[in-house]
Amino acid sequence: MRVLDFECRLKKYRLLKDLTQEQLAAKVGVRRETIMRLEKAQYNPSLKLAIDISRVVEAPIEEIFVFK
Amino acid sequence: MKKRTKLTICLGMICALLVAISSWYTIAYNNSRFIAPMDLSEYVFRVQDLPMIISGVFLALYVVYLVVLLLRYIMTNRHRKLTLQFTRTINPKLGFLGLLGFAGFLGFWTYSVDKTIFPFVFFLFFGFFGFFYEGKMSNTFIDERYKENKMKAQSVANKTSLSIIFLAILILGQGKLMDSLEYTLIALVIVVALSLALEIFLSEYLLYHYDNDEQFDESEE
Repeated sequence: MRVLDFECRLKKYRLLKDLTQEQLAAKVGVRRETIMRLEKAQYNPSLKLAIDISRVVEAPIEEIFVFK
Repeated sequence: MKKRTKLTICLGMICALLVAISSWYTIAYNNSRFIAPMDLSEYVFRVQDLPMIISGVFLALYVVYLVVLLLRYIMTNRHRKLTLQFTRTINPKLGFLGLLGFAGFLGFWTYSVDKTIFPFVFFLFFGFFGFFYEGKMSNTFIDERYKENKMKAQSVANKTSLSIIFLAILILGQGKLMDSLEYTLIALVIVVALSLALEIFLSEYLLYHYDNDEQFDESEE
């Protein structure tokens, strides 16, 4: 189910860092399926996960996760 | 087999043997004292009672030993659960244990024979069908999405089960099912057992459903 008014640009930043979903998942301590659902804006991450992801892909949280 | 398991089984066998020998002795040579009902308030010690007393003490100590083992296991397991990273691995075929729930129908037979209603509780075993879905989620990494889905699934399952029990108590609490209090009690036992089984099953089923059901291509992009 898509989270309303939520856009996730994680895929773009992940590819910029040349990471696979599996590698990113391992770095932030979640399953690959969780990253997949995040990229499709079907999962609303916790603040901790959002921060961890932003640190790994080296991009600001508000650039990766956009709440309209 | 672990050393402690072997020791526990050996001690259990020794206790069972002691009880069997002392029971045989008391039946054969001591007028079945301690086996036949007796008034302990007027008890007077006899040397012939010693075998039964000794085996009884050993049995009691063994039970205490088992309780200590159980408590230690619970404590260790609690610590392990706190540091758990993957779900437990079980075979989905264990879901077939849910068929044991049909044993609940024995209650209709035992009730007609000697008014025993306990077998209706076996309807609880229908909950074991949940092992099928738990098995499918075996060895899954427990991340925040898994925890969130688990909480959601348990919450919905509990709510459903409690609502059914609530309605059943509201309706059956009148005690007028077919104008018989006994039938009301039976209906209540059945409904509560089935609701609890539903709760056990539903929490596993919904967790699997929430975790896997979104329809999209799961291949790497």
